Amino acid sequence: MSERTDGRGDVSEPSSTAEDGRSAGDPLLRVENLQKSYGDETVLRGIDFDLDRRDVEVIIGPSGSGKSTMLRCVNRLTEFQGGTISLDGESVMAMNENELRRRVGMVFQDINLFAHLTALENVTLGLRKVLDMSKGDAEDKAMSQLERVGLAPQAASYPAELSGGQKQRVGIARALAMDPELLLFDEPTSALDPELVGEVLEVMRDLADGGMTMLVVTHEMGFARRAASSLMFLDEGKIVERGPPEQLFDSPERDRTREFLARLTTISEEA
Amino acid sequence: MSGERSTARQALSNAGRQLPAGRSLGLAVGALFWCWLVVRWVAIWLGSKEPFFPATFFEGLATGFRNDGLVMQQTGGALAPVLDFVAGVWFLFSDLAGFVAFGVEYLPELAEGAWLTVVLTVTGILFGLVIAVPLSVARVYGGPVTRGLSLGYIELLRGTPLLAQLFVLYFGLNLSQYFRGFTFGVLPSAAVWVAIVGFTVNSAAYQAEYIRAALESVESGQLTAARAIGLSRTEGIRHVVLPQGLRYAIPGWTNELIYLIKYSSLAAFITVVELFESGRIIASDTFAYLNIYGMLALFYLALVLSATLFMGWVENRVAIPGLGVRDGR
Repeated sequence: MSERTDGRGDVSEPSSTAEDGRSAGDPLLRVENLQKSYGDETVLRGIDFDLDRRDVEVIIGPSGSGKSTMLRCVNRLTEFQGGTISLDGESVMAMNENELRRRVGMVFQDINLFAHLTALENVTLGLRKVLDMSKGDAEDKAMSQLERVGLAPQAASYPAELSGGQKQRVGIARALAMDPELLLFDEPTSALDPELVGEVLEVMRDLADGGMTMLVVTHEMGFARRAASSLMFLDEGKIVERGPPEQLFDSPERDRTREFLARLTTISEEA
Repeated sequence: MSGERSTARQALSNAGRQLPAGRSLGLAVGALFWCWLVVRWVAIWLGSKEPFFPATFFEGLATGFRNDGLVMQQTGGALAPVLDFVAGVWFLFSDLAGFVAFGVEYLPELAEGAWLTVVLTVTGILFGLVIAVPLSVARVYGGPVTRGLSLGYIELLRGTPLLAQLFVLYFGLNLSQYFRGFTFGVLPSAAVWVAIVGFTVNSAAYQAEYIRAALESVESGQLTAARAIGLSRTEGIRHVVLPQGLRYAIPGWTNELIYLIKYSSLAAFITVVELFESGRIIASDTFAYLNIYGMLALFYLALVLSATLFMGWVENRVAIPGLGVRDGR
């Protein structure tokens, strides 16, 4: 999974290199036998995968298959019962959870901007209160993040004054500002009007091109085809199939994968 | 979206502009009332309880109207029915002048009582708020133990009469013995302190419930998002949930403030001569019940309307686009 085969300019670049100061085989994220249940209901039944630096993993699967739950286990927004998750070789259970979450950013389906703060303040809050930056430094940094997602002119706007797509781009800037090593996207475009999806995906593509390591739950197959280094099909708490996007799209090994992708593609082409 | 809102806002402010006279008049009367009240308080602290304006002027007016009316009544002739009617109006004027004369004479004493009403209300609501915020946070975000403790406090204080609580504090626990050393000019008796404690602990319970409802209306996803950037739960509540929840709580909180203005009269039962008690004392001295209770009603109305206006201003002042009830309806 460590090689990009997506036809972009940097295909020859191995995703994990010695310049990271680690051995080439050492993944940024390693998930082993992850198990999670809510009471009697088992949601995740043994998930295993590695994610290398600069890789973009797209996770697809039917509703209730455990995609969001898996993301939330990675930054411990929800606790899991079995298995291990390691970030950069260290078990997340051994880390301070606030420190873990600073290193692993998250973007939500329902965006969750802080409604009483401007776009700029949404980004500076973490810088000021978590990283203890001065007001001026935090604002400079936040401004540069807003520029990165193309929203510098809206810095002084409150969430209610922004469109859905703009809000989600602020949500991405908020996560980026903490300089995360890994970014989790939990269906970032599912709550958006169709015409606003593009601007968010564009920002995400730029991030992927810039080498950000990303774990993305989405059903935007265009994005998966274009930006994913690997595609994972999750169903009933297990990985059904995982591989380079082309392989899953063009010659999936399992019928379930084929059926699901066929349905998704039809839907997204209709839209 | 924001365009729609600003047109709505525009329409509202245009509607407001059509009755500027009523609004300015109300504000002017309010300003006059508070100027008088503050000057009065200062005068009382400086030792003067004399009315600023001689009551004799209005008394003379009342007598004059009354005598004229009597003369008109006794005049016969063709115009007698008309004169009788005018006499009736004159008697009404006489009663009004008598009411004003009465008011001028006793307003200084009522103002003194109103001072304690204001002190009890303001301290009760503010100290109560300091207790209510942690109570409501514990109720919404606490574990089983803190949640239970908070709930227990709230239900105990809301479930028993305020008067009984004041009696327990004043007679049962004899709380005033601890405050004997803290009486000075503006706080004339230790009982005032006991009343402040009573209103604070009682109001905290009610305020906690108003704030709890407000905190619960802040989307939980925002706290999740706060934790996702590395803020602790407590920091998330402090920086994300509370600033929004407290804004949502303002209308309910205003309600509590208005209740407290009137409930503070219960302090009379533990010897605090606040507004209502000062009026009752005058009534039992003069037997002018209608006059004095009429004046008290006007006084409470002035205090309550002032509180409403002030909180409306605060609500506008801290309003944020898209947050709370002011926008979009």
